[in-house]
Amino acid sequence: MRSFFRIIRFALQSMMRNFWLSFVTVSVFVLTLVTINSVIILNVLANASVKSVEGRVQVTVYFTSDSSEGTVKNVQGYLLGLSQVKEVSYVKAEEALATFQIIHQNDPVILAALDEVNGNPFGQALKIRAYNASDFPFILEALETPEYKPFIKEKNYDNYESALKVLSDFSEKVRLGFLILALFFGFIAVLIVFNTIRVAIYVHREEIGIMKLVGANDWFVRGPFLCESIFYALIATGIMAGIIAATLSFANPYIVAFFQGVDVDLVAYYSANAVPLFGAQFGILAFLGLGTTAFAMRRYLRV
Amino acid sequence: MREAGVWIPACAGMTEGAINERVARAIILCMITFKNVTKEYPPKTHALAGVSFRIEAGEFVSITGQSGSGKSTIAKLIFAEEKLTSGHIHIGDWDISNVRHSDIPILRRQIGVVFQDFKLLPKKTAFENVAFALEVAGESNKRIREVVPHVLKIVGLGEKGGRYPRQLSGGEQQRVSIARALVHRPKIIVADEPTGNLDAITAREIIELFTRINDFGTTIVLVTHDRDIVNGLHRRVITLRDGKVASDAEKGKYLLA
Repeated sequence: MRSFFRIIRFALQSMMRNFWLSFVTVSVFVLTLVTINSVIILNVLANASVKSVEGRVQVTVYFTSDSSEGTVKNVQGYLLGLSQVKEVSYVKAEEALATFQIIHQNDPVILAALDEVNGNPFGQALKIRAYNASDFPFILEALETPEYKPFIKEKNYDNYESALKVLSDFSEKVRLGFLILALFFGFIAVLIVFNTIRVAIYVHREEIGIMKLVGANDWFVRGPFLCESIFYALIATGIMAGIIAATLSFANPYIVAFFQGVDVDLVAYYSANAVPLFGAQFGILAFLGLGTTAFAMRRYLRV
Repeated sequence: MREAGVWIPACAGMTEGAINERVARAIILCMITFKNVTKEYPPKTHALAGVSFRIEAGEFVSITGQSGSGKSTIAKLIFAEEKLTSGHIHIGDWDISNVRHSDIPILRRQIGVVFQDFKLLPKKTAFENVAFALEVAGESNKRIREVVPHVLKIVGLGEKGGRYPRQLSGGEQQRVSIARALVHRPKIIVADEPTGNLDAITAREIIELFTRINDFGTTIVLVTHDRDIVNGLHRRVITLRDGKVASDAEKGKYLLA
C-alpha cells in the first residue's frame, strides 16, 4: 500500500517536473481525440441528413374508385403491421380532389379538363412512409397479394424507384465512407499515441536504469510511468470534453439552422451519450498508453 | 561494530519482508568471493579471465588496472549489472553467479554503489535521491524523514538537501551519490571510479569519506586507476592486467606505469 501511494506520488511529481514533456503528450492525446470526435460528429450529421431525406420520401398507393373504404382501411391496417412501415395516412377521394384543385387553382386548362371528366376521377389513397427508404421495394411487394392487388390502381413506385435506389446506395456509401475514415484516423491515432509514449519513455531511459541500479524492482520503476499514462489519458479526455462542450454550445444553433428541418442536435447527442463516448475514448487512450508504456520500457528495465 | 554516537552504516535494521532468508544469511557474513570468474563480451573480448580473490568483511580494497583491464567489470558483477560467463561469485553465503532477475533488486539493496558519473535522478532533489534508495525498499516515510537528513549531514550536505543535481557541483553530486549508497546501511559499498570526474582536492575529500565509512565496519571496494589515491590509502590493492589478477598485496602500491 505504501508503495502504491509512492508510485502515485512519483507519477504526479514526474508529470509536474517534466512539464513540457507532459504538456506535449497531453496535447498529442487531445489532438488525437479531436480527430476522433470530428469523425463522430460528421457521422452523426451525415446519418441525420440521410435519415431526414429518407424520411421525406413517401409512396402513394391509389385505389380503384370502386374499392370500399373498408378495403382501404384493411390495407392500411395490414401495412401498419409491417415493421418497416413508419406511418400510413388515409386520403379520401374528396380530399384528393380538393388538394388537386387547390394546387392547380391558377391553371384554368387543368381545371377545365377536370370539368370534362365530370365527377371525381380520384380514388382513395394511402400515403406510406417507411423508416428506411431502402424498405420501400419490400413494402410495395407486400401489396402484391391477390387479396389486395385488384383494388390497387396505381403505386407511384415506378417514379421513385430510381431515386430510392440512388438514395439508399448513397446512404450505404456514406456509412461505409465514414467507417473507413474512422478506421483510418483510428490507426493514425494509435501510431501517434504509441510514438509519443515511446519518446517520453526514451527521455527517461537513463533514470529507469538508475532506479534499477539503486535497487528498485521492475514494478516500482514501471508503476509511475503506467500511472502517468493513465493520468495523461484522463486529462486529455477531460480537456476534450471541455472543448466539445464549449464548441457545441457555441456552434449548435448554427448547425441546427444550417440543417434546416433535419433533426440534428449534437448537444443532445453528446449529453445523451457522454458517458459511453468519453468513457470509451478514455478507455482506448489509457489502454493504448499502458500497453505502449509497458512495451517501450521493457528494454530499459533489463539493467 | 564500533558505535560513534551518530548514525552509522550497519547491517541490521533493514525492512522486514524485503529480505529473504538467503540475503539475511549473506548479511551476516558479507565477504565477497570470486572463484575463477570469467566474463566474455561477444564475440571475442575477455574482460575477465579466471579471476579469483576473496575480500573479507570490513576490508578496504582498491582494484586497479589500466583501461580495459576488467576492473569496472568486477564492480558490475558484484551488483549484478552484468552476468558472468563462468565461475562463481559469493556475497557472504549467497551465490549470485546465476541470480534471478527478480532477486537482483534485493541484492542491490544490500550493496551501496557509487559511480563515476554519479547516476543521480535529475528530476529529484538531493534529499529525494537519497530517500529513493529507502523508498524502493519500502521504508516508512517517518524513518526516511529521520534518516536522510542525518546521512546528508554525514557527507557534508546538511543544508543542500533541497537542491537538484544540476544545482550542485561535481563533488557535491558525488556526496549525494555516496549518501544514497550509505542510507540503507549496506555492509558493502562498491565505488566504480568515484573520483574520475572530480578535481584532486575534491577527490581526496571523497576518499576520506570512504575511509571514515570503512572505519565504521563497512566493506569498501574501490575501483580506480588514480595512482595518488591508491598510494595514499596504504590498504590492500588488487591489480588487474588483461582480465587477470597481476598482483594482490596488503598495503599495496599502484604498480602500473
